[in-house]
Amino acid sequence: MHTLPRGQHLWRFELSLADDRPVWASGLVKSFGKFEAVKGVSLSVPKGAIYGVLGPNGAGKTTTLRMLLGIIDPDKGERCILGESSPRNVSQRVGYLPEERGLYPSMKAREAIAFMGALRGLDWAEGRRRADAALEAAGLGYAAHGKIRKLSKGMAQLVQLLGSLIHKPDLIVLDEPFSGLDPVNQELLERLILAERDRGATILFSTHVMGHAQRICDRISIIAGGKVRFEGTVDEVRTMLPMKAQYVPCSGDDKVGGLLPADAERIGNAWRFTVPEGGAERLVTDLIRAGHGIAGLSIERPGLHDAFVRIVSAVKAEEAEAVA
Amino acid sequence: MKHLLSNALIIARRDFMAVVATPTFLLFLLAPFLMLGVSVASGIGGAYLAKGQHDSREMVVIASAADAKRLKVEEDVLRSRLYGREGGPPSVRFVLPGPDPEAQQAHLLSDKAMDATAVMRGSLQRPVIAHLPGEADDGRYLALLAEESMRSAELGRPSGTQFSTPHIKVVQKTVPTRSRQQSTGSGTVVIMFMLTIMLASQAVGTLAEEKSNKVIEILAASVPLEAVFFGKLMGLFGIALVFVAFWGGLAALGIGILPASAGLGSFAPVIGTPIFIALAGCYFAMAFMLLGAIFLGVGAQASTMREIQMLSLPITLFQLIMFGVSMAAAGNPGSSVARFAEVFPFSSPFAMAARGATNAALWPHILALAWQALWVGITIALGAHFFRYGVLKSGVGPFKALGLTLTRR
Repeated sequence: MHTLPRGQHLWRFELSLADDRPVWASGLVKSFGKFEAVKGVSLSVPKGAIYGVLGPNGAGKTTTLRMLLGIIDPDKGERCILGESSPRNVSQRVGYLPEERGLYPSMKAREAIAFMGALRGLDWAEGRRRADAALEAAGLGYAAHGKIRKLSKGMAQLVQLLGSLIHKPDLIVLDEPFSGLDPVNQELLERLILAERDRGATILFSTHVMGHAQRICDRISIIAGGKVRFEGTVDEVRTMLPMKAQYVPCSGDDKVGGLLPADAERIGNAWRFTVPEGGAERLVTDLIRAGHGIAGLSIERPGLHDAFVRIVSAVKAEEAEAVA
Repeated sequence: MKHLLSNALIIARRDFMAVVATPTFLLFLLAPFLMLGVSVASGIGGAYLAKGQHDSREMVVIASAADAKRLKVEEDVLRSRLYGREGGPPSVRFVLPGPDPEAQQAHLLSDKAMDATAVMRGSLQRPVIAHLPGEADDGRYLALLAEESMRSAELGRPSGTQFSTPHIKVVQKTVPTRSRQQSTGSGTVVIMFMLTIMLASQAVGTLAEEKSNKVIEILAASVPLEAVFFGKLMGLFGIALVFVAFWGGLAALGIGILPASAGLGSFAPVIGTPIFIALAGCYFAMAFMLLGAIFLGVGAQASTMREIQMLSLPITLFQLIMFGVSMAAAGNPGSSVARFAEVFPFSSPFAMAARGATNAALWPHILALAWQALWVGITIALGAHFFRYGVLKSGVGPFKALGLTLTRR
């Protein structure tokens, strides 16, 4: 048992929740020289969830993940991984795919996977057996005995991903796992992640590509400027933004613009605008009464991409203001 | 500790196989053959050069025909008695005296066409000998030749008459003398140092591979950095053992074949040969680990081969100092220098190995091995700490750590 640092009561409470929260962090701070990369990040990842850490480049995502894994130590703050305040103590239950991919070029693919398994406590022979099966399942069976240096970048990346999963970890941490993969392999990776979640693993991954997060994440955190700016589900972040409507009147009369909200803009025959608070019903009624009719109307919730851009833009504007 | 060791073994196994299971390892293993070849070739070349120079050199005696005849017989006998069938000073040439023997002598010594080292003129009772600087032995040889020739003449015996017929034989000394023990110690230090510097210096670039391949991130996330460092050292030590076993086997084979007269009798450790060899093996392991840990720790800070080379130089110089101190200890057992070398961690393996050759006590070796093992641990821990700080940008820097330590006190 480790000595409890400051904030003991909260810490004890969180330790008691360790089974439900495989990853928990509070107020993580990390500086490199004078640059403060992470400024008090707190995370709480539910067990069995796919949790996305989203953020623009340089937001502090990788530094946060590295602190959670114990590769680097935070300057301030607490962390608890699988019930341990020292991540090293549970390293055999964790799988990790770093942002900067790395394998020994002279190693054969199955050996590389078995080696990564061995580092996490898996027997070499069992590692080789599982490596053969995993490579076969990923369609890379033919490359099992080929050296890493002879594989394409994408294939090597898949080999590394398989290596990080080979010991069947309880917690899987993937740093920008989709970057460098073609669309087919990106889909394969999504399926792998979902399969791991179904197995019972908790997955924490970082990305700045919203499509993947929107499709597979149960919960997300948006980090920008070294701080968490949002935490919740994808649907929750999307509801932060008002709905958008696209309306096509029956008449081509420009007077219709006077009835629409102020941000309405004309795109060809159609008008695009933000749905007013309270809904679009009253507006629709007004348009019909005024004789403009409705040739087409669609109302849609903004995507994660829009929410992300809005949050990050606001942070950047804040930072620019602070600098000014 | 068990986890640390098992993690280190995984790293060691990877590194060992990555090096040994490649064709280039054969080149490394056989590299000493090339060194040996270069040594033999340069030795043969040097010998031919020396022989050529020696053959062209000569001593000259300006003498009448009668004196020359007597002196020639006397010189044959003298040379054979002093030097046997081969060796000795340059050959002697006899020339008849000219009108001015003094000028003739000076001319012979300065003549570019010949390579005279010493020239003798005048009567045998009062010979005048001139020699070049540094060739006094040749001058004395000519003087002895004149003396022997006159002695034979005075005794009325033919030149070269031998009055005593000695029986000369070679006897091997079986009891190790102090000087032979010290030679054993010095020789062991030299061999250990050469092996250590050659094999341990490879550690300097090993982490560069992980850094350039970005594998270090996976290693650092999976196992403690201390295990990475220790594993790398063990892997390299395994490679070193293959190397030592190969060349040790060849050397043992050579020793078995070589005759007793080859000078191997000078290997005379006072502690006993088997124990001495076992101790030397242990000390080699410690020296390798200590030096390797320094190379590894320093090399881990470097990002490029250029940086690695620049960082290696001061360590190599430091080790040369340790070698010098250890050699001094081997030459002066029991001295204060020896005590220092035995205690100072980085010279201790060498100095203690040398001590085994001259001192029979066993317990200091047990203490020394424990002391050195402690320092191996400290060096690895420091190397890992600085790696974490310098490369992973985590933890406390050396100066801050020192400051914290001082303020805590």
